[in-house]
Amino acid sequence: MLWQQLANGIAIGSVYALISLGLTMVYGILRILHVAHAGIYALGAYVGLFSFKLVGNFWISLMVGMAGAAIAGYLVERFLYTPLLHLPRIAPLIVSIGLFTALEEAFRIVAGPHTLTYNARIGLGDLSIGSFRLTETQILILFITIIILIFLWAFLTKTRTGLAMRACAQDPETTSSFGVNVSAIIAINFIIGSAMAGAAGVLIGVYDNQVWPTMGSIPAYKALAIVVLGGLGNIPGTVLASIVVGLAETFFIGVLAIPFPRDAVAFVAMILVLMFKPYGLLGKA
Amino acid sequence: MKRGIFHFCAYVFAVLFLAFSVHAQDIPIGFFAPITGPAAADGASAKHAVELGLKEVNDAGGIKGRKVNLIIYDDRLNPQEAVAIANKLIEKDRVVGVVSGSYSGPTRVTAPIFQKAGIPMVAGYAVHPDVTWDPKEKKVNDFCFRNGFLGEIEGAAAAEFAVKNLKAKKISIISMDNDFGRAISAGFAERSEKLGASILTKQMYKFPGEKDFRPYLTRIKEGNPDLIFAAGYYNEAASIVRQAKELGITSQIMGEEGFDSPKFIEIAGPTAEGVIIATNLDRDDPRPLVQNFLRNYKKAYNEEADMVGASSYDAFMILVNAISKAGTDPKAIQKALLETKDYNGLTGKITRFVQGEVVKPVQIQVVKDGKFRRLGVVDNPEVITPPIK
Repeated sequence: MLWQQLANGIAIGSVYALISLGLTMVYGILRILHVAHAGIYALGAYVGLFSFKLVGNFWISLMVGMAGAAIAGYLVERFLYTPLLHLPRIAPLIVSIGLFTALEEAFRIVAGPHTLTYNARIGLGDLSIGSFRLTETQILILFITIIILIFLWAFLTKTRTGLAMRACAQDPETTSSFGVNVSAIIAINFIIGSAMAGAAGVLIGVYDNQVWPTMGSIPAYKALAIVVLGGLGNIPGTVLASIVVGLAETFFIGVLAIPFPRDAVAFVAMILVLMFKPYGLLGKA
Repeated sequence: MKRGIFHFCAYVFAVLFLAFSVHAQDIPIGFFAPITGPAAADGASAKHAVELGLKEVNDAGGIKGRKVNLIIYDDRLNPQEAVAIANKLIEKDRVVGVVSGSYSGPTRVTAPIFQKAGIPMVAGYAVHPDVTWDPKEKKVNDFCFRNGFLGEIEGAAAAEFAVKNLKAKKISIISMDNDFGRAISAGFAERSEKLGASILTKQMYKFPGEKDFRPYLTRIKEGNPDLIFAAGYYNEAASIVRQAKELGITSQIMGEEGFDSPKFIEIAGPTAEGVIIATNLDRDDPRPLVQNFLRNYKKAYNEEADMVGASSYDAFMILVNAISKAGTDPKAIQKALLETKDYNGLTGKITRFVQGEVVKPVQIQVVKDGKFRRLGVVDNPEVITPPIK
């Protein structure tokens, strides 16, 4: 039972990681709280679902969902955030909140108010040892999250573009004086972050077999708490914070059985960390 | 000055004309439902079903030759919005009666407003006690009526069936944390314990928002209950049923009217098979009223009718029935509603209203071959008679 809860917690934590990483990357480079990121996550789920209905293959739908989210993320960056960068950061924040609400309503108008099902079977089967079960979708989530994290790590540490991106996060002006095209780096940053959110949307769609217009509303604020918990802009910290929150939620509900609202866990953790480690779990002053 | 008098007279005539034209022709009935927002799917069901009823009434010549004019508002599942709507329906639209196609939240805040204005309201499926009861004044809202069941009664009826017919002894309860979930699971727990079953675990989950029930279900699995009673709406219900099967749980799962939607079966897929619910619609009811409604609904909207739609349709028809008996004076309509006796409703035969609460049997349905089918009826008067306050 403890092992089962561990699997439950890590699976949901992995999805939190995929959503939160894009948010922390955007904050790291632009210092914008990208609330509409959760809308991009839901968009990824919808695009993935529609492509799944067209072709019937999960892997293709995952790719299309990620691509759709990446394109949307790029458009948001180019046409909404970049023109507002000379204004105080509250302006893009307001735009972001407005865009998020507009996206939710757009999903409702285009795809209807009903919950849609994302009934993709990969054919892996469950892994069961005694009463412990790692379900097919849990295996899928862990597998895809690990692959994406390895790619992200390799990109950020082994490529020149990744190096430039990390430099931009520290000091965009100096980076640009070294001949780096900062605007292109920002675009790539959004594309990668949004593609990960799109993957998270598709995975949640399959994990819960549900895609619905307001599916982004809880991730919209939970991811913010996770990002702060991990240290704003800190990528390994965000992954750690996501897993911590996923596990903490699962154990509060399933083991301690404390009647404590699930979505408060991330915020309580955030407050505790801010009190004792104000730069987040892995953040440095 | 002359011009002023002219304007004044024109204004008076315009108002009189408007008032006359509305009153002489159409009978205004108000309707509100969560047509957009988080409950938009249920709002659509309620609106569709009531519009179907409206078409039937008007196609048959209206009420004593006068057409019914249905005035529809969207409360977005927001109680503040519902208060504004209630005032608008009374003051601007001057309705003679109101149908609520909404949840408890918006419906209960409008109840004292309609009560004060003396406009009868029939609620389709809102379950909260405060629809028919004013907790501040400590008296019955005698202008408010409910076609659906009180949450406690439906929960108790589910327990009656679970313990007496399904012979469940060890039970786990998982319910959503809102008025509906709390009332229905409280009624279930009380009745099942009274009948001798033991409750192993009681868990609450947040609504809206919860989708990952694996932590709850893993805990339930440890106790290996005979039956899991899940109180919630169909999206969450489908997730619970599906995830329970994924985790290898074999206990019988029982739900309530919140499960009663084709969407539940669609999302849960094959894992929905064998799930039992207590609800307010019997799809195998042979009465033509029921079969015609199910067929016409499907024909008009290309989807299966659900409990929300059927209950809202009933609420509208109960009001129409009272108007056709009593005319358009709200006070007379209320009197006719109070005197309702053995009314042949879509969701069952209504014996009478007790302090606004409906008295009728609770339907037990089971999912079989991807459809809700009749499994039983709970009509024990001890269970289905609402308590007198």
